[in-house]
Amino acid sequence: MTFLSPFLLWFLAAASIPVIIHLLNKRRHKTIQWAAMQFLLKATRESRGKKKLRHILILTCRALGIAALAFAAARPVVSGLVGWGAGTIDTVVLVLDRSASMELRSGDGQATKRELVLQKVRDALTDLGNPRLVLLDSASGKAQEVPSPDILAEISSTAATHSTANFKTLMTTAAEYLSRSTGRSEIWLASDLQLSNWRPDDERWAAVRATLASLHQKCAVRILSLTGSAAPNVGLRLVGTRRLADGLLLDLELIRSEEDRGSISLPLTINTNGARSSETVILPGQSLRFQKRISLSESDATGHGWISIPADGNVRDNTAFFAYGPARSIKSLVVATPGEAGDYLSLAAAPPGFEKQSVERIDPAQFSNADTSNVAMILWASPLPVGANVQALERFLSSGGQVVFLPSETPSPESFLGMQWGPVTLAESGKFFILQDWNKTDGPLRDGIDGSPIPAERLRAIKRSSPTGDAAVLARWEDGETFLTRRIVDRGTLWFVSSIPDYTWSNLGDADVLLPLAQRILALGADRFDSSYLAEVGADGTNLLAGESRTRIDDYAAENSPYEAGVFRIGERLIAINRPLAENDLQIASKDNLDAMLEGTDYRLLDQAGQVGDSSLSTDMWRSFLLAVLFFLISEAILCLPIKSTATSQKLVAAK
Amino acid sequence: MPHSFIDNILLSRLGSLPIESRVPMMGNVAGKHRSPHRGSSVEFAEYRKYVPGDDTRRLDWKAFARSDRFYIKEFEADTNLRAYFVVDASGSMNFHSPGQETKIQYARRIASSLAYLLVNQGDAAGLSICTDKLYLEVPPSRRAAHLERFFTTLGKVEPSGETGLIEALHTIAEKISQRAFVVILSDFFTDTAALGDALQHLRYRKHDISLFHLMDPQEIGFNFDRPHRFVDLEDGTIIVAEPNLIADEYQTALKDFLISVRAKAHDAAADYQLVTTDRPLEPLLREFLTARIPKAKH
Repeated sequence: MTFLSPFLLWFLAAASIPVIIHLLNKRRHKTIQWAAMQFLLKATRESRGKKKLRHILILTCRALGIAALAFAAARPVVSGLVGWGAGTIDTVVLVLDRSASMELRSGDGQATKRELVLQKVRDALTDLGNPRLVLLDSASGKAQEVPSPDILAEISSTAATHSTANFKTLMTTAAEYLSRSTGRSEIWLASDLQLSNWRPDDERWAAVRATLASLHQKCAVRILSLTGSAAPNVGLRLVGTRRLADGLLLDLELIRSEEDRGSISLPLTINTNGARSSETVILPGQSLRFQKRISLSESDATGHGWISIPADGNVRDNTAFFAYGPARSIKSLVVATPGEAGDYLSLAAAPPGFEKQSVERIDPAQFSNADTSNVAMILWASPLPVGANVQALERFLSSGGQVVFLPSETPSPESFLGMQWGPVTLAESGKFFILQDWNKTDGPLRDGIDGSPIPAERLRAIKRSSPTGDAAVLARWEDGETFLTRRIVDRGTLWFVSSIPDYTWSNLGDADVLLPLAQRILALGADRFDSSYLAEVGADGTNLLAGESRTRIDDYAAENSPYEAGVFRIGERLIAINRPLAENDLQIASKDNLDAMLEGTDYRLLDQAGQVGDSSLSTDMWRSFLLAVLFFLISEAILCLPIKSTATSQKLVAAK
Repeated sequence: MPHSFIDNILLSRLGSLPIESRVPMMGNVAGKHRSPHRGSSVEFAEYRKYVPGDDTRRLDWKAFARSDRFYIKEFEADTNLRAYFVVDASGSMNFHSPGQETKIQYARRIASSLAYLLVNQGDAAGLSICTDKLYLEVPPSRRAAHLERFFTTLGKVEPSGETGLIEALHTIAEKISQRAFVVILSDFFTDTAALGDALQHLRYRKHDISLFHLMDPQEIGFNFDRPHRFVDLEDGTIIVAEPNLIADEYQTALKDFLISVRAKAHDAAADYQLVTTDRPLEPLLREFLTARIPKAKH
């Protein structure tokens, strides 16, 4: 709490006036000759406890009433950020979330979360007497001093971006900055608490806490939670692109906020190399993942474009940019011992007629020496890896590769990332394991774009080995046992298939299942090579190298800042930069998450910061103090009421 | 000699009201009050059988003619009333709040007015003044000249010291041999149990007792706006107190005291009047005297 007229606090001394008057009155007694002494003696003996307490309460009410009046005159200001216990603050480090999700407009559709919080921070800082303000924005990650909170909304460092935020890093930077400053400091975090921006599981939060704890003066952390009501919003994101022989396949996703219900129709505008077209997409639920195929002619070796939906609650998530260039060859690796299974797998990975696809077959013992930098998919039909192979596979997965494990004849007790093979089981004589239930909307056995299903029911097996471990099951045998599982590992994916294309196991080699499965997984793995044309805002590939310049070449907008999405030519490179996929994450960091991340720090979560009706983070408190004055005066008046004595006196007079 | 406590106008207004006794009196001369003995008044009382020694002149010959038996016809005897005014002259009777008269002065006015009315109707009035003991007495007399002595004595009373009312009442009860009208004027700031005993003593001696309980309005209201140093009028005890804080307890104690005194008076079949000194005297005495008139005489 701070005071706009602190010199008036001297009037607090007036609170002692009632006590002084009381003491003077006690000394200023009048002498009187009295006859009815026996009652006076008795009354004096009995007058203890309640009466004295009442008298003390009356005095207290008078003193507090005057004190409250003095406080009201001093114009106290309580900041929702600072709270009651705070005194003067010398430095405020404002950590501003400038991520794309902060551009979501509030429930009334007037201002975005970022604009709203900037306005509130400005008002709060003005009320607090304009302490030194240091801005640390999530896009640049650099601290800069702002001369006045009035210009906070105008400077480029608080402008909207398509970037994401990393609060762990920002907090570290803030703490390091404060370690060099003196005086009482506070860190104000303005964020929509998007879980992907906070990453509570990151072990490096411990380092953040340690840095904060090491500050020579304890620093309070205030989190302005901007999780209030928001305008309806649908986000469009480009999950990936894949160059086909005659076109470009875009994996797109529409995501809607959880509050919205019902099916909606959205017009989709597609701009390819300046040529526009449009179509309508029906969004039946909260999200829709779909593919958009763009036909390209032979002459379209390179190009770019964008896809957008109409403006809504957040204009920063309505457009996805893409770029493409010459298609590259896709290489697969089959790790299997010589045999029928390896042959079929090699065929499925590089079928005849697919010139751009190639396959290399190696023995498991040779894998650790193999170059996987240009490999999109690894088909592993051998016992689970051990030793150096494990690390090599993990690195491959982290870089976006796809690994498909298939069982081997030799049972192996090893596990890989918590996944294991179960025992090999045989079908009863004359019977088969038949694939019955598989995910038709997601995964490599999904239906085709035209809706035609994969003939997976034709798969028959006489031998199988089901995987066990924490993974999503995408297909099951008719007895409920697992056929296909998926587990996302960093940027890559780990797949387990419970049979092998060998006549002693199953008819997986018939290509009804194996070919689409291998080709679709291969396509996913190939995405990482197409990323040279596709990047997220803030990614390493978007930075300018020495001598390079940055030029925006799409016609969607003209902004050319490093934190804008668009199609850019950086030096000789053509690159479509989109906002990070995580910015459409609807998950919010919970209080438990914050408790875990900021454990041991003096942090306070302010939920009201995102409320539209709450125009300021600070409140002029003089009205409350005037109410307190009124309360104390009324209390004093009630305590002074001579209730019992009047009644007794009346009775005595009546008795006459 | 004029006395400040005698109001001639008041006395002339009350002159038409008699002072009646509520119990039969035993006076020395004929008067207007009932006697326990049979006498020669015109009011028939009863017949009784003749016994040897009775005055034959009182035989009812007509009754003998009708019944052939001797009957004596008896009539009520009327006698005079002797009133004793017991005035408490302890220090507490000297109290008065601003603008009010002292309790002793109020007592003087009551006693003098009633004494005048009594003598005026042919009854005798006596005076007893008590402080810590019974120290002044004027024996009852019917003579008009006696009133001057009564008033002079009353005027000379100066309240002081502690009260000796209880002892005085016992002394009076023992001293008065015949039934009398005893009027006690006091604030009764004494032990109420002892007061009850004294009243019972008077009651035992078949006296007609009337109590005028004199209180100052401030003693009842206890309205003070600031701390006071209270000095006892009787023994000089000093108490510094804040009346606002003790008003409730004071009122409670006073209430208990008033109820107790009233109860003691009731037990002794005494006539009780709680009087504040701000009350006009005429309505008080008119009410007192009217209440004493037997219903049959209305």
